[in-house]
Amino acid sequence: MNLLEVTTLSKSFDHGKTMALDQVSFSIKKGKVITIVGESGSAKTTLIRLISGLETPDYGEIYLKETLISSVTTMIPPEKRNIGLVFQDYALFPHMSVADNIGYGIKNKKDKNIRIQEVLNLVGLEGYDKRYPHQLSGGQQQRVALARAIAPKPELLILDEPFSNLDTMLREQLRNEIFEIIKATGITAIFVTHDTEDALAVSDKILVLKQGKLIQKDKAKTLYKKPETAYVASLFGTIIELTPSILKEFDYPLNEKKQYALRAQDIKIEKNTDYTLDACIVKSHFMGEYYQLEMESPKGNHFLIHVNKKAKKQKMSIGFNEKDLMIFENEN
Amino acid sequence: MTKLVGNKNKIYSLENKAKRFKRDINQWSIITLIIGFIIAIPIATIFFKLFSGPGETWNHIVYTLLPKYVLNTGYLVVGCSILVLLMGVSTAWIVSRYDFPFRKQLEWLLILPLAIPSYITAYSYAGVFDYGGTLELLLRYFSISAIKIDIMNMYGLILILSLSLYPYVYVSARTVFLTQANNLIEASRLLGVGEFKTFFRLLLPLARPAIIGGLILVLMEVLNDYGAAKYYGISTFTTGIFRAWFALEEPETAVYLSAILVTIIFGLILLEKWQRQKIGYHNDIKSANRLLRKQIQSNKKWFLLSLASIPVILGFIIPVMQLLYWVGLTYEEVFSFEFLSIAGQSLGVAILAALLTTIFALGLIYFTKWNKLHFIKNLSKISTLGYAIPGAVIAVGVMIPTLFIDKWLYKVFRSVFEINIGLFINGTIIGLTYAYMVRFLAVAYNPIESSTLKIGDKISESSKILGKGNFITFFKVDLPLIKKGVLSGLLLVFVDVMKELPLTLILKPYTISTLAVKAYEYASDELIAEAALPSLLIICTGILPVIFLNKLITK
Repeated sequence: MNLLEVTTLSKSFDHGKTMALDQVSFSIKKGKVITIVGESGSAKTTLIRLISGLETPDYGEIYLKETLISSVTTMIPPEKRNIGLVFQDYALFPHMSVADNIGYGIKNKKDKNIRIQEVLNLVGLEGYDKRYPHQLSGGQQQRVALARAIAPKPELLILDEPFSNLDTMLREQLRNEIFEIIKATGITAIFVTHDTEDALAVSDKILVLKQGKLIQKDKAKTLYKKPETAYVASLFGTIIELTPSILKEFDYPLNEKKQYALRAQDIKIEKNTDYTLDACIVKSHFMGEYYQLEMESPKGNHFLIHVNKKAKKQKMSIGFNEKDLMIFENEN
Repeated sequence: MTKLVGNKNKIYSLENKAKRFKRDINQWSIITLIIGFIIAIPIATIFFKLFSGPGETWNHIVYTLLPKYVLNTGYLVVGCSILVLLMGVSTAWIVSRYDFPFRKQLEWLLILPLAIPSYITAYSYAGVFDYGGTLELLLRYFSISAIKIDIMNMYGLILILSLSLYPYVYVSARTVFLTQANNLIEASRLLGVGEFKTFFRLLLPLARPAIIGGLILVLMEVLNDYGAAKYYGISTFTTGIFRAWFALEEPETAVYLSAILVTIIFGLILLEKWQRQKIGYHNDIKSANRLLRKQIQSNKKWFLLSLASIPVILGFIIPVMQLLYWVGLTYEEVFSFEFLSIAGQSLGVAILAALLTTIFALGLIYFTKWNKLHFIKNLSKISTLGYAIPGAVIAVGVMIPTLFIDKWLYKVFRSVFEINIGLFINGTIIGLTYAYMVRFLAVAYNPIESSTLKIGDKISESSKILGKGNFITFFKVDLPLIKKGVLSGLLLVFVDVMKELPLTLILKPYTISTLAVKAYEYASDELIAEAALPSLLIICTGILPVIFLNKLITK
């Protein structure tokens, strides 16, 4: 059974002149975690605000457990949807203690205190119940926000850019912890991010939004290996676009109607690849985990490649294998 | 991928628009519209009355009085603009740029003249410069032959109004200087530009939108003034409206004059909007650091201190001294049971009006949020325009429709219940409170709105997502967080009602009086010394919020 079903959902903020969200459809099975990825302006936030009932759709339907909750004619208010939402900036109630924040949404008055302790344990904040939000660190506030959202046992949990306010170290640690909690509770979750590393790490399925349109939805591995457009490919790692003139130098039998690209690490400094060519290093930059080399081909084409070791020679053979080549329909 | 059905034309078809409208309209949309309607009635009345033709004396007024009203009002506007700009901007610059003894005290003392309604400043200066007045007495004491200065004319009125209103410009200019000027000054000095040039070439243009914003507030108060102009014998639009209504007994003429005045004011508002739009940069510049004050040598220190003290001495200390002197002479006569009762009535009316206005403002803000129709969201802001409209005009606008409703109610009650109810709204506390609400809604609305903007929508949205409805969210989450804004709204409306004169004069019930009205009545009866006690009490209630307001600004 699909827990959530979204069909041709659309929203515009200027009466249709520009579509913020343009006919997006997808569904989520119970217990799965899906990620919505997109740059800022891709309408990820609009999409989840529509799902949680904070915005009204211009068109399309949203079903939760096969009940219609949003459409052109129906609008169940957010307080009656049983959906949990963790805001990007947490939006904790500043005048309430941690326990009051977490207890706020719990309907069963009798078991309230037991449930508060339960979720505090779950997020690893035992003993913090009497503190106030301003007395907590960013990571702790994040955990309280999560605890508050899952305390009423929502059908669906939405996390809006939950790690964007945290520094890199904390981010990775908390990401793992929080998704362990989500997996442990078996809750269905939508996770919104612009960081594709987050997306690849945690999700069963990824939706890619671009300017309000859903451009691809697939499993993480498929998205990485078989992106449908150069745009999707570029979201999940540096790509090198291979122009017809470069491909001709490699003697590749190109089709003018297609677009070709490679991941930066798929250009190898080897002779025995499927297509090779001799090129010169123009510049070399140490980037920490790899070296970035700017190469020039005999006919003057420039491109960047990523290699593990520092290049010793000025001139070398580079090449790529047929299987690594990504081929797209020409977008123009 | 899912097959896409429908397209933009279908989504925005008339049929779907109608469906969405039916889905989104709720009780809050309707209540918001009703509140907006109630608040808009007086202004709409003035507008519609324009089509029913002027009164009999209109032609006479156009040829004889109107040129004088226009000219006098024009003189006042120009004169006050020049004076308040001089006083407000120079003092703001001195206290934000230089450090000198008593600067901190002076910073908030400079706001205090705002606590004195301009008609009270006018009364006390009349006393200072009168025949046998305080100045003459003082001069005689030092055996100097008295110089007679006549202040009760146009120049005097300009001076009085400017002295009591310049703080609007001072406050807005100072905020910009303190929060936005530091980086610019540092950059300018690194480029080797002198202090003088930096001020005129960089800082004045930077602060211009804020300064003009303050100036517009001053001009609205100038146009609203009745007490001072009346006492100094200057005919303006506002005194003209009174004259038409009470002396000529021609409401139609009063409406016509009101309409002209409202047009001028809307012109001013549009001008202000336009100048803000034209200068889009002023908000972009934000100094991370507050302005660092310059240390200066001792001679100059005392010079700056005395220069910046002039508006405080003229605008606050002298009038208050004069009032205290008068109170000393007259309190035994004035202070009576009747006076206490008037003070009590004044407090009561002000508290009632402040509470109701704040509740209306809260309602307008939150019902608009709970409503989902977009056009209503834009509409509700218009309801706060009342503050721009002079009290006398609002009084006229309230009088006409309430009389109409009262007559109707009277007929209905007599024919259906056979009871004579008299006038139910007009000339009763209901009508008066209603007019205060129309006039001061913005005073409560603005601080509340800015505190809701400060917390943002996410917090109340969180509450709704956690399963709580609008009302529980409001009382448990919103209200505790916007407490400060609500309190300042209450306080500011309270003080404004205490001070308000023209509107109260026209609409108050016969049985009720306020301190402001009492002071006005004493002054009109040439018992100006007796006006001092009620005036001082008004000033006392006015000082507290001025201090409070200053705290809010400097925070």
